[in-house]
Amino acid sequence: MTDSEGTFVISVRGLTKRYGGTLAVDDLTFDVEAGRVTGFLGPNGAGKSTTMRMILGLDHPTRGRALIAGRPYADLRRPLRAVGAMLDARAVHPARSGRAHLIAQARTNGIPVSRVDQVLETVGLSTAARRPAGAYSLGMSGRLGVAGALLGDPPVLILDEPVNGLDPDGVRWIRRLVRDQAAEGRTVFLSSHLMSEMQLTADRLVVIGRGRLLSDTSMTEFLAAASPPSARASVPDPEERAALVRALMAVDGVSVETAADGGLTVEGRTAAEVGDLAHRHGVRLHGLSDVRVSLEQAYMDLTARSVEYATGGTDEGGRP
Amino acid sequence: MTTTTGRNGRTLPTPGAPGGSGGRRPGSAEGRTPGGFPGAVAAEWTKLRSVRAPALCLLAGLAITAVFTFYYASIADINDHPVQPVGNAAAASAVVTQFVFVVLATVAVTSEYTTGTVRASLLWVPRRHRVHAAKALVTAVVAFLGGTGYAVVGTAVAWGAFDGRASFAAGTTLAQVLAVGVYQALVAVLTVGVAFAARHAAGALSILGTLLWALPSVLLGLGGEALTAVNDRLPYGAGDHFMRAGTDAPFSPAAAVLLVAAWAAAAHAAGQYVLRRRDA
Repeated sequence: MTDSEGTFVISVRGLTKRYGGTLAVDDLTFDVEAGRVTGFLGPNGAGKSTTMRMILGLDHPTRGRALIAGRPYADLRRPLRAVGAMLDARAVHPARSGRAHLIAQARTNGIPVSRVDQVLETVGLSTAARRPAGAYSLGMSGRLGVAGALLGDPPVLILDEPVNGLDPDGVRWIRRLVRDQAAEGRTVFLSSHLMSEMQLTADRLVVIGRGRLLSDTSMTEFLAAASPPSARASVPDPEERAALVRALMAVDGVSVETAADGGLTVEGRTAAEVGDLAHRHGVRLHGLSDVRVSLEQAYMDLTARSVEYATGGTDEGGRP
Repeated sequence: MTTTTGRNGRTLPTPGAPGGSGGRRPGSAEGRTPGGFPGAVAAEWTKLRSVRAPALCLLAGLAITAVFTFYYASIADINDHPVQPVGNAAAASAVVTQFVFVVLATVAVTSEYTTGTVRASLLWVPRRHRVHAAKALVTAVVAFLGGTGYAVVGTAVAWGAFDGRASFAAGTTLAQVLAVGVYQALVAVLTVGVAFAARHAAGALSILGTLLWALPSVLLGLGGEALTAVNDRLPYGAGDHFMRAGTDAPFSPAAAVLLVAAWAAAAHAAGQYVLRRRDA
């Protein structure tokens, strides 16, 4: 991968934000690749929103810079056609209708009003569009926020905690929308502190903690790096089971747990490797699968390794 | 499923140079509403008229104008004041009605901060001075039209109540009506500047209340040449000199307009400075 323009649509270089004595964002450097969904992960207060606001030119960095398509956001001629952003869905004048809000937005970038009705339709807000936004539910506000982000039909979407406060339907709707946008070739950069949601949505991950970059990698690599591969096998015959366990344990770095029902959990081997070994030893299997590491567990592993994050609370994890 | 359809087959777009395959990309047709400053102005106008508060504000101002000018003229009549140009009643009412535009313009700015929409506004128009200038322009136009409208109504009401103790000359009255409009427009610009600098309604309104009402009252109340001279150079003192006719002003109406404009420009600069420097 080369650091050429066109490959990366968002470039963050040494971005730093200091509020008084505290560093909210500390020398962040990362890129967001075109045409992918990049998750921006970190606990509350890690600096995700501040970083996004700096990318969008709302907050001034103390040091460093953030570029979109090679330019600062403020230099984009018609920014809504280049980047669609949703920062705080609740940030609408309560007395103004959702439609009027979007019309004002459209005017600023020379977008026709017909497009406003189109995006209202897209997000399923047509019937409520003329009601004051103050009467909207959190889910409706979220939809209005998404409509605003889509208004300029931009190739890049930046969404800050888009599923916050949404009901399961809304969450699924956002997930689907994000995946559809990416399938159409758009770049999506979205933040969340909800691991399970991120695991379902993102291709790449930028993980920060206390304003610092902890990891910048693909989801697959992130999960693989966090824990060794592991597999689950079900062996009906106790003798064969014992034979397989012996064969597995013959190699360093592999550990096997036997459950009460005879199921084996093999850490350090993939399902394919376990299957091959069983075949070689003539062991009959009733079930064999890779164990998917949850992002939450991988994230806990990562943050546990960085000392200042070890709070001793990493035992409750999603490792099945 | 409700997501965007009909845009399949899109290849990786180059950001900043959007152009979907297969045409109809919303707003890509050149020659439409141009965005830029005109777009920012159109957006501010949409914002202002899509909430009810400004209209209520203007309506209240109309009622205040009618009451004020009626009393002004009645008192002149009862106390046998010398005959004065009829437009003076409306010109004098600006001492109160200016606060209609102060409130309207303050809320237009500070409501963006209380609701958080200022971030949206700056995302839509990242050139911050444009947002500020568009708001100043839109509220100024509203204040000019509102101010002249009030002046017309106030003059009509006063004409009846003066009961002969006022003179009417079309030229003078027209000039006074326009002068009130110009003054109110400059008050709106001043207010937008102060509100962007203060960010909070309470702060902005105390500054403007002090500058436009409390300070003049104190200075004139204490009296004396020096204090009166200071008051003549405050926005309302100077404004009064070009709105009211037939009084002895220390400087020409043109100079008075420039003085008020200078106050508005200073406030505008202060607002710009804060808006530019601070995080949204």
